[in-house]
Amino acid sequence: MGGEVVSGGIGRSVRRPDGPDKVSGAFPYAGDLRVPGMLQARTLRSPHPRARIGRIDTAAARRLPGVAAVVTAADVPGVATYGLIVADQPVFAATEVRYAGEPVAAVAAVDAATARRALAAIEVDYEPLRPSTDPERVLAADAEPLHPAGNLFREIDIRHGEPGVDGPVVVEDHYVVGMQDQAFLAPEAALVSPAADGGVDLRVATQWLHSDREQLAACLGIPENLVRLTLAGVGGAFGGREDVTVQIHGALLARAAGAPVRIAYDRVESFLGHPHRHPARMWFRHTATADGELVSVQARLVMDGGAYASSSPAVLANAVTHAAGPYRVPHARLHGVVVRTNNPPCGAMRGFGVPQVTIGHEAQMDRLADALGLDPVELRARNAVRPGDVLPTGQVLGAPLPARELIQLVAARPLPPPPAADVTGLARPGGLPAAAEPGRVRRGVGYALAYKNLLFSEGMDDSSAARVRLDLTDDGTPRVRVHSACAEVGQGFVTIAGQIARTELGVEQVDLAPADTAVGSAGSTSASRQTWMSGGAVRGACVAVADRLLARVARAAGLPAEVVEAPRRTLRIAAGEIVGVEAGLRVRLADALAEGPIEADYTFHHRRTTALGADGQGDPHVAFAGAAHRAVVDVDIDLGLVRVVSMALAQDCGTVLNPLSLRGQVEGGTAQGLGLALMEELVTVDGVVTNPNFHDYLLPTIADVPDLDFVAVTEPQPDAPYGVKGVGEAPTCTAAPAIVAAIRAAVGRDLRRVPVRPQDLVDLPTRADVHTAGDASTA
Amino acid sequence: MMAGGKSSAMFRPRTVGEAVEMLAAAHESGTAVALLGGGTDLVPALRSGERSAETVVALRRVLELRVRGAGADSLTIGAGVTYTDLDGWSLSPGLARAARVVGSVQIRNTGTVGGALGSARPGGDLLTFLTAADAEVLTVSPRGPERMPLPRFLADGLAPDALVTAVRLARPGGPQVYLKIGGRQAAYPAVVSCAVLVDRVRHRLTCAIGGVGLLPVRMGEAERYARDEVDWSTGTVSSSAARRFGDLVVEAAARVSPALPAGPRGSAEYRWHAAGVLAGRAFARCLHLTAPPVGEPARGSAAGGQP
Repeated sequence: MGGEVVSGGIGRSVRRPDGPDKVSGAFPYAGDLRVPGMLQARTLRSPHPRARIGRIDTAAARRLPGVAAVVTAADVPGVATYGLIVADQPVFAATEVRYAGEPVAAVAAVDAATARRALAAIEVDYEPLRPSTDPERVLAADAEPLHPAGNLFREIDIRHGEPGVDGPVVVEDHYVVGMQDQAFLAPEAALVSPAADGGVDLRVATQWLHSDREQLAACLGIPENLVRLTLAGVGGAFGGREDVTVQIHGALLARAAGAPVRIAYDRVESFLGHPHRHPARMWFRHTATADGELVSVQARLVMDGGAYASSSPAVLANAVTHAAGPYRVPHARLHGVVVRTNNPPCGAMRGFGVPQVTIGHEAQMDRLADALGLDPVELRARNAVRPGDVLPTGQVLGAPLPARELIQLVAARPLPPPPAADVTGLARPGGLPAAAEPGRVRRGVGYALAYKNLLFSEGMDDSSAARVRLDLTDDGTPRVRVHSACAEVGQGFVTIAGQIARTELGVEQVDLAPADTAVGSAGSTSASRQTWMSGGAVRGACVAVADRLLARVARAAGLPAEVVEAPRRTLRIAAGEIVGVEAGLRVRLADALAEGPIEADYTFHHRRTTALGADGQGDPHVAFAGAAHRAVVDVDIDLGLVRVVSMALAQDCGTVLNPLSLRGQVEGGTAQGLGLALMEELVTVDGVVTNPNFHDYLLPTIADVPDLDFVAVTEPQPDAPYGVKGVGEAPTCTAAPAIVAAIRAAVGRDLRRVPVRPQDLVDLPTRADVHTAGDASTA
Repeated sequence: MMAGGKSSAMFRPRTVGEAVEMLAAAHESGTAVALLGGGTDLVPALRSGERSAETVVALRRVLELRVRGAGADSLTIGAGVTYTDLDGWSLSPGLARAARVVGSVQIRNTGTVGGALGSARPGGDLLTFLTAADAEVLTVSPRGPERMPLPRFLADGLAPDALVTAVRLARPGGPQVYLKIGGRQAAYPAVVSCAVLVDRVRHRLTCAIGGVGLLPVRMGEAERYARDEVDWSTGTVSSSAARRFGDLVVEAAARVSPALPAGPRGSAEYRWHAAGVLAGRAFARCLHLTAPPVGEPARGSAAGGQP
């Protein structure tokens, strides 16, 4: 439509309205919300990874002055369990705890210190049981079921081409990916208020208001319309807010106490409270012709889902269907299981199963290139998928997916200058304090190519609804109000919604209403889907509003009925006016709206996909986005410390709606992949997380993340509004394997584990070595 | 004060004497008291409930704790001196360097020397440096001032009614180096740290390693080796000696008992290895290395075990 003259439309680097407040510290995150008379909540969590619960005695806690409510499993009035896909997780453990950190009770008190004392006063009789923490053992015939639903969340076996066909060149190995955490900076928080109508109002940081509502209503045993949620300020999500954490506990406490409750996690509780990225153990076997054409790929994946299902079944589908990577593979057998253990639950995290398999298939491609004596870029380019190719699921790859162009583009970017002896200490591996000696630093360059599915898969209709209203302000200026339940978690809907409305309606002033459950579901802010899905909903609602307005003007101008029926053919909105050149008509928007506002709802659906059938065949994914990274690293070969010197990224982005926002997404995705490659890992010992804090769980800082050399490939995606693609996940999938490849090139060691640890890169003394040497020196 | 809950009271003495009186009164009445310096350890601990205090004695207004000074032979650093205050202090370049790599700039602006001693975190950067520096800790209690070697202070802990007022160490007699590693490029807690101090006057080299034991450990055997190996008239040593020095540190690190329990970052074997590498590097930075004898590699890994 006639948006060409309105500033701040699509394609512009519109600034985030919350940007200055976030930078200056004034932005109210969910944990900053306060209301008078508010109680403070705390959650009691199991210290044991597995235990039978004999008795929970809350009497002493209830008697403490200042304690307003204590709730346990016995106080859940509705369904006792919840979950994103299957409701297998108890709101509170009743008879058995299945992971260390599982909630057992919660309290609300006048202040946090009293709430803490109340937790200490709750007596729980645990009978510790031996935890099952090895994902490769829980499916054994004699393995004990850890839950009535059994230990297998899902198994997928994709058979493609003919079995047993091999090429003459074979590479085969095992790979391990550790447990990454979303580690968003603002911990989980909600402010929950009981309402006079028996319902409950929540202001909460979440990724999916309507999914929260559904699970809340079921567990509270009240109708959904009595559960009202409004999005509070979200400080990062990355998948970690897709599952319910504070919501049900807070609502139970608020209803029991009859008072508003603030439930907010501290850092340790945040690390224990939400599901993590699935650790994976993977085996791959790739075969190729002597010319470097892939012949077959076999993969076996074991993913550790932890104690409860969360989104494990969907994560596995992503991992297995992407296991061969964006390559043409005539024959494939891709098998995966995701299992239940007594480790912490794992679920959604940026990339959703794909970053794990990318570590494997990209290491394999490099080793295949070595075996063939081919350049790793050339091998990838030669085998890259093209639209029209049949993927291992039988799905025919749609356009665009410029995989070959991406890897070639990134390889053509200028390389950074070689390491200079006089670089400052900060620019050496380990930074200033490690004092790496320039002569003991080796440089490496590595590449990775991947693709990531967009939107929900396997037949899901994850539609998004939006409501758009066009009216006049008190001073008679046209204004658009967009109402969507799309959770803004940093991805940029706060600018995109307005950019679309300005473009479609030619109105500068766009107000985005708070995201809440008073409008239909926008689906989850995940799966790279909101710009496409909720952007599509906003656009559809804007188009409906424009059509009604144009019809109104046509009718008022006495234009023929066929024009009123399809006014767009004759009339258009431009520069605050409705213009019909042929009809000789020109009406100010404000005059057209004087008669009253216009409002429309629209629900956007993506194309239908299908579930995976027998042999893992189907049409499971709506579309894909490709990415290729090149990493350059320096390694201190004495200490095994790695510094990432430069990162280049070529990404398949579709039409770019907001270049600045795109840049934020790809830089963030790259940084999160860098974290996975080098440092981010929750370490468990016998099921217990040993590092639930930012002292021992390290995130990359600005000193670790180099400037990103970024090239966007902008071929429009058919069926998506304006031709957009989701952009947040693909770079997370490629950053880590590119860095691992660069380290491998620098040190000449095969690396089979991510994160790569310094100890994996050096020859270590053994206890025996050291003691022998010590004896010799004293002799 | 919010962090400690509604029941806590905050006192803000202006002199060491007042602070000690407050501590003594709290001690006599049996109230739980916490000393607040920069708050980088205490405030998070109070927030999380890991610690609780009915009384908090905040020391920032005690100006006499914020003084650093030099005597003829020694440096005295008040307990309230921050890491930022130490950064760039020309009288103690080694300490300045250790202070400069503590945490983030925010931590350095508020964290204090007294806090480093009071919290005594085993990975504490300053603690490793002070261990190598043979530092003494000065305290004041109702029984009067007291002065004790750092190891004794760390072993006995601070009496509940006492206050660390300062730390004292010898003026540098030669090069001093502090190195550490910890998993990223900047703003990290040390996994392994190493301080090497050379005293050209007394013909002495001291070395402490953090991250292998519960507290930083002195490397006695390596120190003795250095004393015998260095040409003290010129401050030179053969480059093969740097490697041997590192090897001795690896062996000593592996023998430290009790060892630091296995943590999420760095296996024990890696920490021994890294201790040797850092010690070899620090040694080489403090001394002039002469060319190795014929047949030896110019520069080798400091890891143990190689012939």
